Amino acid sequence: MRRGALIHSLVPLLSSLLAIFGAFLVGGVFLTIMGKDAKAAYMLLATRALGSSFGITETVIKMAPLLLVSAGLLIALRASVWNIGIDGQFLIGAGAVGVVAPRLAGVMPLFPMLIICGLTAFVFGALWGVIPAILRVRYGLNEIITTIMMNFVAIYVTSWLVKGLFRDTSVVAPQMPSIPKDWRLPHIPLTRIHVGVVVGIVIVLFLHFMFRRGTFGFSLNVMGLSRKAAVHAGISVDRLAILALLLSAGMAGLAGANDVLGVKGLFQGEWNPAYGFTGFALVFLARLNGLAIIPFAYFFAFLLFGGEMMARTAGIPVFFVEMLEGLMLVFFAVSVYFERAVLRKVVQE
Amino acid sequence: MQITIAEKPRMETKETKPSPSVLEARGITKRFPGVVANDNISLLIRGGEIHTLLGENGAGKSTLMNVLAGMLQPDEGRILINGAEVSFKSPIEALEQGIGTVYQHFTLVPNLSVVENVVLGTSRGMTLDLKKAEEQLAIMQSHLDMAVSPHEEVGHLSIGWQQRVEILKVLYRGSQIVLLDEPTSVLTPIEVKELFQILIRLKADGVGVVFITHKLDEALDISDRVTVLSRGKRIGEVGSHELARQERESLSRKIVRMMFEECDLTEVHRKSTVDFENQRMCRLNEVSAFDDRGTVAIRNLSFSIRAGEIIGIAGVDGNGQKEMAEVIAGQRRISDGQITIANVDITNKGTAAAAHAGVGYVTDDRLGEAVVPTLTVAENAVLKVFQQTPFSRFAVMNHKAIEAHTRGLIRDFNVKTPGSWTKLGTLSGGNIQKLLLARELALRPKVLVCNKPTHGLDFMTSQFVLQTIRSQADEGMAVLLISSELEVLFELSDRIGVMYRGQLLEIYSRDEVDRETVGRLMLGIKS
Repeated sequence: MRRGALIHSLVPLLSSLLAIFGAFLVGGVFLTIMGKDAKAAYMLLATRALGSSFGITETVIKMAPLLLVSAGLLIALRASVWNIGIDGQFLIGAGAVGVVAPRLAGVMPLFPMLIICGLTAFVFGALWGVIPAILRVRYGLNEIITTIMMNFVAIYVTSWLVKGLFRDTSVVAPQMPSIPKDWRLPHIPLTRIHVGVVVGIVIVLFLHFMFRRGTFGFSLNVMGLSRKAAVHAGISVDRLAILALLLSAGMAGLAGANDVLGVKGLFQGEWNPAYGFTGFALVFLARLNGLAIIPFAYFFAFLLFGGEMMARTAGIPVFFVEMLEGLMLVFFAVSVYFERAVLRKVVQE
Repeated sequence: MQITIAEKPRMETKETKPSPSVLEARGITKRFPGVVANDNISLLIRGGEIHTLLGENGAGKSTLMNVLAGMLQPDEGRILINGAEVSFKSPIEALEQGIGTVYQHFTLVPNLSVVENVVLGTSRGMTLDLKKAEEQLAIMQSHLDMAVSPHEEVGHLSIGWQQRVEILKVLYRGSQIVLLDEPTSVLTPIEVKELFQILIRLKADGVGVVFITHKLDEALDISDRVTVLSRGKRIGEVGSHELARQERESLSRKIVRMMFEECDLTEVHRKSTVDFENQRMCRLNEVSAFDDRGTVAIRNLSFSIRAGEIIGIAGVDGNGQKEMAEVIAGQRRISDGQITIANVDITNKGTAAAAHAGVGYVTDDRLGEAVVPTLTVAENAVLKVFQQTPFSRFAVMNHKAIEAHTRGLIRDFNVKTPGSWTKLGTLSGGNIQKLLLARELALRPKVLVCNKPTHGLDFMTSQFVLQTIRSQADEGMAVLLISSELEVLFELSDRIGVMYRGQLLEIYSRDEVDRETVGRLMLGIKS
């Protein structure tokens, strides 16, 4: 029995790792076809991103938005609510902070200002989830489609606002006013890492606990596993579906605040980091497990940073990393298939 | 081994000459974690014979069938066809050797036609000669007296007809042995009779029919040979001579003894009368509701159940019984009328309000709705109460309290499970039902709605469930018992009503009605 439990927890981890390995392998083949030295490129990725304190610092900084986005996806996917609108909610949250933060800077102390900014981003991100949530619950419309569509609306709405109403007219480029340095997210002492990472880790850990022990997390789990059973048990599934989508969207908005307040210092036109897809790859590879999300977030941040490095020094397109992520999902699907076969065999023994 | 039934010469009857053995299993053993599902089982299945595998749920019937069908590989033992040893790695290999299986859950594509379903997977080439297939199918159909258009979409057919398409499918593939896994469990009594006629025709054509059931009456009705399984072992066999010559009564006693060697059989006792002074616990007033597709499912239902009373609802499946159960449990909105539980109005107030007012609901959709099979036994045990103390405090679940509660339910209801934190889906249907009943009764309901509480359960578990319901009613619970099995209803109910096309035709006191009347009403025939 104990051996069985061990296998049940080890095999999924192994298959996730195998998916990553497979993606790198096929990615290497593509690099070779492109005429690049795959081995050298990967070495560069490893040494630059892992081998230097600069690389590690940058990677950790990049973890923050990934953690927050993953937290949002974790809530939604556990409840079987498919929030594909992460990118739109992120932009709306970022845009809201881009508007609010410069106006609050200097008016009040840093701490309450950051709290207000975080709440604003959360609320605006969540607002972007309201329409899909209502459409799903009241009219039975699939949230996959509506959330995707809301992404496009978000891109153009923020782009319109940054070029119009909220434009900083003192500069040529379309952008909102920048936030003074002292009014951004403070750094962890002795590092250049801002506290967004800490917030992200705390939230992910909290969610992990919530899904393990919390009644709210349990309700979401039950609904995600069997909607019929949830209805039967007296869980109000409509209310939960709305909550899951709004919380998920709010987290995406919070990720937007993190990038504006911690990294960029302002909201720029045409800026769209599109963490949504990375978030999906990450959360699936982490098997919707809160604890696993943290190391996987580090790994994906490492890929993002390493990708930039490779682009700069080895001339490999930044899209290469996105391709790797895509390959990981493909290999993940394959390895889950084999994993089931392995586990079935274990059960039969 | 192509079967073209019409042209095939009939097999000699077994009185003149024993039929050749077709399929033989020798010493089949199959183990699953913690259980030996088949323990050294040997079996001889002859062509031209209906061979029944009889046993309780969990006796090992389905495992044995899956081994013969190539779905599972035995740990020990051999399978022989006409004396030659074979081994199947998959159901396809078994099919190629002439062993076809009709599973409990059909393997048809609902939006394909009958003929398309029948040929599906048989053609290896690029082209599909449906015309030829249709002709062949027509011969088989007329021979078996199965009149259905080959172009009918399978999804539009009744369950009984879908089953016949499954049978045609395996015959079309040339099966000489047909395995049927609990084929009668999904059928109405009339459909069962029709199925039996088909099986008898197959037998006459020399096909070996393996009929799996846990219903003794069916086994005696149709079998040429009955093999009794219990707890994974082959207990004994009743051959054709005995079946033909002995009286049904003594045969049935003999087989029951085989099946329940170590069990004592007790009758469910019902209380004779209900005190009419008792409070009306559940009251429906002119209740109407729609089904999932938006058509009227129940119409102007009015009745009440007193404390301590069991009202049985008879009816052919799909006449609004499920919807009736769901409106009382608060799971389905009603379009008209009023529902009160112990004088509390719960009309359209939802599941939680109904449960709070005192409704317990044992649904017939055990795995799909009542529980989450991928969660643990304990999590399922508190599925309806996890938000209450002591199972959670300040929104945090208290696993110790949950485990203690679950252990109590497991002990009191004799649920067989490795532990509280085992995945529920690994338990047998009977044990899941016991847990379910335990969970609902732990809510201390004033009104218990049971929809087919014994469906698919073995004899012992059925008796346990019925006895539990009766004793709860004797302590003052009001019970609505929905079932399509008249035996159950007459055994337990104080009053019996019949649902037909969404309406409650009549509610009789049990003593003033007989099965025939109720049976006729179920079919909509008013005396």
